[in-house]
Amino acid sequence: MAADELQIAVLAAIAISCGLIGPFLVLKRVTMFANSLSHTILLGIAAAYLFTSTLWGGGLFDISTLLIGAFAAALITAFLTEVLIRLFRLQEDASVGLVFTALFALGITVVTLFTRDVHIGIEAVVGNADVLQFRDLKLASLLVCMNLGAVTLFYKQFQLACFDRSLAQTLGISCGFFHFLLLFLAASTCIGAFRAVGVLLVLAFLVGPFLIARLFCHRLPQLVFWSCAIGVLASVFGVALSRHLLSAYDLALSTGGIVAVLIGVFYVAAIFISRLKRKPLTVHPKDQ
Amino acid sequence: MMISFWDFFIDPVLRAPTWGCILMCLASSLMGVLIFLRKRSLLAETLSHATYPGAVIGVSVFALLFPLHEEWTFIAVLGGAFASSWLGLKAIEWMEEKGKVRTDAALCFVLAVFFGVGIVAASAMQSALPVWQKQVQMLLFGQAATMTDVHIAIYGCLALTAALFLFLTFRPLQSSLFDRDFSISAGIPVSILDRILFWLLLISLIVGIRSVGVVLMSGMVIAPAVAARQFSNRLQTLFGLAALFGVLSGFLGNYLSVMGSLAFSQQGQKMTLPTGPMIVLVGTIFALLSLMFAPKRGLAFRIGRILAFRLRCLRENILKGIWKKESLSFDQLKEAHQISPLFLRYVLFRMKREGWLSRKEKRFGLTFDGRQKAASIVRLHRLWELYLAESLGQQVENVHRTAEEMEHILTPEIEERLTRLLANPTHDPHHQPIPEKHESILGN
Repeated sequence: MAADELQIAVLAAIAISCGLIGPFLVLKRVTMFANSLSHTILLGIAAAYLFTSTLWGGGLFDISTLLIGAFAAALITAFLTEVLIRLFRLQEDASVGLVFTALFALGITVVTLFTRDVHIGIEAVVGNADVLQFRDLKLASLLVCMNLGAVTLFYKQFQLACFDRSLAQTLGISCGFFHFLLLFLAASTCIGAFRAVGVLLVLAFLVGPFLIARLFCHRLPQLVFWSCAIGVLASVFGVALSRHLLSAYDLALSTGGIVAVLIGVFYVAAIFISRLKRKPLTVHPKDQ
Repeated sequence: MMISFWDFFIDPVLRAPTWGCILMCLASSLMGVLIFLRKRSLLAETLSHATYPGAVIGVSVFALLFPLHEEWTFIAVLGGAFASSWLGLKAIEWMEEKGKVRTDAALCFVLAVFFGVGIVAASAMQSALPVWQKQVQMLLFGQAATMTDVHIAIYGCLALTAALFLFLTFRPLQSSLFDRDFSISAGIPVSILDRILFWLLLISLIVGIRSVGVVLMSGMVIAPAVAARQFSNRLQTLFGLAALFGVLSGFLGNYLSVMGSLAFSQQGQKMTLPTGPMIVLVGTIFALLSLMFAPKRGLAFRIGRILAFRLRCLRENILKGIWKKESLSFDQLKEAHQISPLFLRYVLFRMKREGWLSRKEKRFGLTFDGRQKAASIVRLHRLWELYLAESLGQQVENVHRTAEEMEHILTPEIEERLTRLLANPTHDPHHQPIPEKHESILGN
C-alpha cells in the first residue's frame, strides 16, 4: 500500500474511533478530562513499558503494553483527580489542571532519564504522520473495532449516563462504571493514535467534528455518524492538502497539524453556513 | 565542577536562568490566584497552548526580516505569542457566548486548533528555516539554560508590571472578585479591570513559556494558587503566599535541572533535565504538601480532628456504659464497643490514669469524677430525647438514635436552654430519670 493511502486509512480510522466516543465526552462535559488523558498517557506508557519489559520482555508498541498503559493512565488520572476533589476538597478545575501537569512533568522526566532523549516528549505531543507503517493501520483498526463494539453494546447505557443520570440509576446502570469505560476508551484512543498523529489531533478529532455536527443535527445517532464522517472528510482533505503542498511548493508540513487546522476551518465555515440558513427563520418566525 | 548556592544568583552564566525562572514564576503565580478564584484555572492551559502558533509565526517573520539578529528573537516570540493567545481568548469567549458551546468543549477545541496551527507553522519552519527551528522547539518544554541578561531585564519588567498593577488596583480588584454586582453599582470599571487582568494573564503566560514551555505552563499557574489557598482566606495573604511558592518553585526547579543534568551527565554521555517539568514538579510538591499538612484545611488536620472526636465519643460511651451497670468487666466492654482490644485497653488505661475509672477485681467502676461526667452525658442524652419527643413531636421510638450522637455535641449553653425550655424535667420519654445537673463537674 502506498504511503498516502496508508496515511489516509490510518487517519480515517482514528477519526472514526474518535468520532464514536467524542460526542459522549462532550455531552458529559469531560473533554478537559480527555485533555488530561492526552497528557498522562505518556506516564502510563512509560510505566507499562517498564512493567511489561521486565515481566515478559514486551516491546514499547506491543498491543498489551499500550492497553495496560491506557488502563493505567485512565485509572491514575481519574483516581487522583477524584481524590483531590473529594478528599482534599479542591475545586474541580484546579484538581484537573494540577493532576495532569504534574503527571505529564513526571512522565517527561522519567522518559528523559530512561531514554536520555528529550525528543520523545515532543513526538508524543506532535506525532509524526509521515513515518506510518502498516502495523499502525492494524492498531488503528483495532481501536475502531474496540470503540465500535463498546458503543454499540452499551449505546443505551452511555446515552442514559449522558442525559439522565437519575433514570440510569433507577434502571440499575452504574454511571461510575460507564464513566470510567468512556475514559478508558478515550485513553486507549489517545495511546493508539499518539505515535501516528500525536495526542493533539486526537483532541481535535474528539471535540471538533461533534461541534460541527451539532450545528446541523440534534439526534444522538446522527451526531455520532456525522462526527465520524466529518473526521474522515478532514483526514482525506488533510492528507491531500499536505501532499499537494509538498509536490507543488516543496513545503513539507505536519499532516496531523493540517488536519487539526482543517477541522477548525470546517467549524468556522459551518458556523457561517448555519447562520445563512437560519436567517430566514429569524426574519419570519411565524411562517414556521 | 562544584557550584555553590550563591553562584546561581551571581555567576554570569547561571544567574540569567535563575532570575528568569524566579521572575516568570512570580508573574504566573500572581495571575494564577485570580483565575483560581474565578474557578477558571483550565483557561491557562488553553491560552498557553494558543501562544504557540503566534510564537512560531513571529519567529519566522523575524527570521525573514532580520536574519542576522538571532539574539533578539525573543521579542518576536513575545509579540507573536501575545497576539495569538489574545485571539485564542477571543475565540473562547465567542464560542461560549455566541456559539453556545460549553466551556470545557470550547477550551479543548480552541486548544487543539490553535496548537495545530502552531505545529503546521513549526513544520513549515523545519523545511524552510531549519536553523531557526530550535528557537521554536524549545518553547514546547522550556529551556531556561540559554537565557541571557537581556531576558532578565525584559521578563523582570513584565513581571513587575503585573505585580505593580495588582498592588495599585488591589481594592477595586478585591471587591470585583468577591462581589461583582456590588462593584458595578459602586462605579468600579469592572469590565475594563477584567480586560486588563486578562492581558496581564497573557503576559505572564508568554513570559513563562520560555522557561516552562507551553505544554506545562498551566501547572505553574495553578500549583502556587492551590498551595496558597490552603493557608489563608485573605486576598493579600493569598497573593503573598502564592508569590512565595512560585518564586521558590522557580528557583528550586532551575536548581534541580542544573544539578540533575550535571549529576547524570557524569556517567558518560551528556544529558539535560528539562527545566519546565522540574519547576512544575516542585510546584506540585508544594501544593500537595499544603493540601496535606496546612493547618485547618489540610487533610492531616481534618483527619486528626475527626479521630479526636471519635476518641471522645468512645470515652464518653465507655463512661456511660459503666454508669448504667455500676461496673463492667473487660470482656463486656469489648462486646459493647466493636474496636480492637489492644486500643480499648490503651483507652481504659489512660482513663484510669486520668482519674475517671477505677479497677477492682478485674471489673471497671467509676470514680467520683467519672460518675459525675457519665451522669452529665446521660442527662444530655435524655434531655435531647425529651426535646425531640415533646417540642418537635418526634415518635418516641425514633429519638434514641439521634440522641446517641447529640450527647457528644451539646454544649453547656444549649443544655441550659433545653432545661429552661422543658421546665427542668425529671423523666425522659422512656420514663427513665434524668440525672440532676452537677455544678462541680471537672475537666473536659
